[in-house]
Amino acid sequence: MADHFFTFSIITLSLFVVASSGGLESELVADLLTLQAESKSGVIHLDDRTVSKFLTSPRTPRPYSFLIFFDAANFHDKPELRLRELRREFEIVASSFITNHNSSNTKLFFGDIEFRESQSSFQLFGVNSLPHVRLVGPTAKSLKDDSDVMDQGDFSRLAESMAEFVQYRTKLTVGPIHRPPALSKMQLGLITALLLLCLPLVAKRIFAGETLLHDPKIWLSGAFFVYFFSVSGAMHNIIRKMPMFLVDRNNPNKLVFFYQGSGMQLGAEGFAVGFLYTVVGLLLAFVTHVLVYVKDATAKRLAMLFTLLVSFWAVKKVILLDNWKTGYGIHGFWPSSWN
Amino acid sequence: MATMPASASDLLKSFKLKTKQQELLIRVSILCLVYILAFITRLFSVLRYESMIHEFDPYFNYRTTLYLTENGFYDFWNWFDYESWYPLGRIVGGTLYPGLMVTAVLIYRILRFLRFAVHIREVCVLTAPFFASNTTLVAYFFGKEIWDSGAGLVAAILIAICPGYISRSVAGSYDNEGVAIFALLFTFYVFVKAVNTGSLAWSLASAFGYFYMVSAWGGYVFIINLIPLYVLVLLITGRYSMRLYVAYNCMYILGMLLAMQIRFVGFQHVQSGEHMAVMGVFFLMQVFYFLDWVKHMLSDTKLFQAFLRITVTCAVAVGGIALGLGMVSGYISPWTGRFYSLLDPTYAKDHIPIIASVSEHQPTAWSSFMFDFHILLFLFPAGLYFCFKRLSDATIFIVMYGLTSMYFAGVMVRLILVATPAVCLISAIAVSATVKNLTVLLRSKNKVVQTGSTKGSGGSKSSSKALLDQSQPFQKNGAIALLFGAFYLLSRYATHCTWVTSEAYSSPSIVLAARGAHGNRVIFDDYREAYFWLRQNTPQDAKVMSWWDYGYQITAMGNRTVIVDNNTWNNTHIATVGRAMSSYEDEAIEIIRSLDVDYVLVVFGGVTGYSSDDINKFLWMVRIGGGVFPVIKEPDYLVNGEYRVDKGAAPKMLNCLMYKLCYYRFGEMLTEYGKPPGYDRARGVEIGNKDVKLEHLEEAFTTSNWIVRIYRVKPPNNRCNIHGQSGTCNPQNLGVCLDLLGLVDVNLGNAPTKPCCSLIEGLVDLEGAVCLCTAVRANVLGIHINLSISLSLLLRNCERKVATEYICGP
Repeated sequence: MADHFFTFSIITLSLFVVASSGGLESELVADLLTLQAESKSGVIHLDDRTVSKFLTSPRTPRPYSFLIFFDAANFHDKPELRLRELRREFEIVASSFITNHNSSNTKLFFGDIEFRESQSSFQLFGVNSLPHVRLVGPTAKSLKDDSDVMDQGDFSRLAESMAEFVQYRTKLTVGPIHRPPALSKMQLGLITALLLLCLPLVAKRIFAGETLLHDPKIWLSGAFFVYFFSVSGAMHNIIRKMPMFLVDRNNPNKLVFFYQGSGMQLGAEGFAVGFLYTVVGLLLAFVTHVLVYVKDATAKRLAMLFTLLVSFWAVKKVILLDNWKTGYGIHGFWPSSWN
Repeated sequence: MATMPASASDLLKSFKLKTKQQELLIRVSILCLVYILAFITRLFSVLRYESMIHEFDPYFNYRTTLYLTENGFYDFWNWFDYESWYPLGRIVGGTLYPGLMVTAVLIYRILRFLRFAVHIREVCVLTAPFFASNTTLVAYFFGKEIWDSGAGLVAAILIAICPGYISRSVAGSYDNEGVAIFALLFTFYVFVKAVNTGSLAWSLASAFGYFYMVSAWGGYVFIINLIPLYVLVLLITGRYSMRLYVAYNCMYILGMLLAMQIRFVGFQHVQSGEHMAVMGVFFLMQVFYFLDWVKHMLSDTKLFQAFLRITVTCAVAVGGIALGLGMVSGYISPWTGRFYSLLDPTYAKDHIPIIASVSEHQPTAWSSFMFDFHILLFLFPAGLYFCFKRLSDATIFIVMYGLTSMYFAGVMVRLILVATPAVCLISAIAVSATVKNLTVLLRSKNKVVQTGSTKGSGGSKSSSKALLDQSQPFQKNGAIALLFGAFYLLSRYATHCTWVTSEAYSSPSIVLAARGAHGNRVIFDDYREAYFWLRQNTPQDAKVMSWWDYGYQITAMGNRTVIVDNNTWNNTHIATVGRAMSSYEDEAIEIIRSLDVDYVLVVFGGVTGYSSDDINKFLWMVRIGGGVFPVIKEPDYLVNGEYRVDKGAAPKMLNCLMYKLCYYRFGEMLTEYGKPPGYDRARGVEIGNKDVKLEHLEEAFTTSNWIVRIYRVKPPNNRCNIHGQSGTCNPQNLGVCLDLLGLVDVNLGNAPTKPCCSLIEGLVDLEGAVCLCTAVRANVLGIHINLSISLSLLLRNCERKVATEYICGP
């Protein structure tokens, strides 16, 4: 390892500095490599002690850069921070970097710091909001002022943009990102084998006409689901990754469920309206194909009245909401004297 | 719906017609009225503006149609268009769907033959409404086929005014979809008819309908995947029949052979992954038929079961292997991005910015559904339920068509168009069944109304349930009330449709309309002004660079060559333009010169408040450019993930070419009372860089409302220019520039000194050297360098000729 390190350092301009304190620094690097090997994804877990050991105490320029992810376990359940997801992506970048360099690159290490256990490090870096990723370059003296912060734009495309950030700032190539496949090869093989085994069985049942597929009720509920899914704009929410609701900017205690302005919608809003659409259709089905067979005339009338009221309310609600949302006021084109 | 009001029937009786004849007469006259209605409701734009072509794509279609009328079909088929995609050109005949143009020219020829002196433009403008009328007829027959003639009539009425369809078929929207929806519905109708009758003639007709569809629109892929899916569902649910076999095979084989005659499709039809489903189902059909035959021959059931298992396994295995081999060997091309983005909706957003950038490819929010379908949305589930209660081959088809197209409509706004006919048909079933039952109740004197399956009533929020009970005294009144309710809702639908057509879908987008301060209509005709300026004031062979949206219009109306246009076939070329627009002027000019561009055209809405201008589209240029050239990075143009043009904007944003071209001289302009000069009305901010200086481009023309701005690319500076007009020595700037670059680069002879060169550009060679010396002597650099070597290197980098041993004077 020391060989590598020396060949590298000869090329770099930090030759003199290294020569003077080379022994100590190579020890640090060796420690880091061990830590890196111990961690599953190659992200080194840092705490107050190790931060001072690897970052504050060694003299600059240090022979390595550090990319640090600031984590807080107690915020993991806040979906808007996306900490878990970003953390996972960060690990992917780290492991890709390490694999692409055969675990022998000593110029860049990946680390993470947890808020609860290393609060003083958080202060040292001046971190007061999450998610936060910081690159500490070899020459950074003050951890707070000399290190580079990865901004929102670099999170946007997850691992790929983080890798670009690293490439841009450290001039080190990360190389292709290796994402773990959704299914391992073993699982894939098993599934294929199972499918092949089932095939004749399924075919036989199809010919015999006794599968679930022959039950129109299944198809019917499937059809209603597709309908609900489409008209509620669920596809829009998936593609745009819309949240279910927003918090009102002026009043944090208030939640905004409906977004004014066409072409955009919030999650809950779409489902609510999709539900209203579907309810009218389902009530109709109930009335025309179930209620008919009820013997009791009063029950029938009451149910009928209920259906009518609910349907009327739903239709009215949707029309009102639509007018409010899109801001269109619809009017007929009859002679103006009629108005 | 099919029943008539009492007074009308009295009148008809006096003509001594039999009931059947009366019904026929009424049906035909309703159809005629619907036919006319469908046509005239699409004429708002012609009445309000003038008879002209709308939007972007239609201009290309119009231009090709013009070419077709002038040069005939064979020239059209072999047309190489050198006016677009300069310097690549475009093989037009092989890269378009000719159905629309051929149709328009055919109509034109027929009218000419009948001695109607029309211009081809009028034909083009009215093609879409004409085909919309024809679609209503097809909808009637389709509705009749799947339910009854009443449902057919209602379907015709609904589709005649449904905004989802009108959006793409108003007069002037001369686009492929205009005829394609007709072709689509026609193909489906004839195919369903063929499946119902098992007749060869209908299957043949569906093959030809399919051929017309393929010739008209890329959306034919929907047909060629829906039909096998439908057949597959029929097979799985045990509805295999000889009728299906005849209809499908005939349609597939003939349809495929015909489709391959269209050059744009060609062998893709048997090779690309998108068309594999239809082939797979074709072979599956043969296996089914074979099994049927064997079953017929073998009387032993056990033997048959064993045989069945072996055959099915073998067939599937062989199919899988063939598909795998085809994919690996490259005979079967993988799915295209557009197809992928339908199945996996998030695909386009992540991988193909050029698809994701188009506004009509955005995912659909619920309000868009409401806008385009209105009450049909409520009726649709009811209609679905009715279809399920009366399952037949035809209703299964319409249900599948409805659901698949609904799903696709959720993915992309523009596909609401494809879903419209299905939604109209299914809703028509609900309306027709309800109204029919209600009227039957009203007319029946005291007969007992049968309950059960025919009782399919529903629609609107009514349902005739309570009415069933004959013993209820207020049954008839209830029916009347509900009937009124239903008609009220339908009339709301009609009002909504008319209003939407008039206000939202009839603006030609080439001429913009806005409401003035006093509610009066203000017309901005800037686009045409700019294009005609181009046509009349620029050289014949001038090349115009603009974002691709305007390419078709510039070639069609300005008659000038463009670099990229709306046929986005070459992503790299578009990315090059995107890169030029998002670079600094110095870098951009090199791209511009390498593309041989003479004029640059931008669209700017800051003065009028027109929001779909180039500044708002700019991020897409960055994204598309950055997708090919990684030097362009989206975060450079954003501040904390926010896109802004005011003082807080990113420095790269404030100095990129697009920003400069849009806001050139805008800083002096007062747009709104009470706001500072340079207030951008489209974005509602005061711009950040008011002092825009252009070096290599000059303003050539700006339209009256500043919507279109055209810049001329200046010719390269004449290096022997003694007067050195633009050259002034600014040692301070030069010093800073050199300092930034670091003179190390100069010493090594690297190129990045180029941006500095612009600072001494315009100076004569010797003056350049003197200027550099001044900069060095002023010690702005703060470094001691080997002056003579560095200077000569720097000058050589800037392509200046000075004696190598030039030394700064004392």
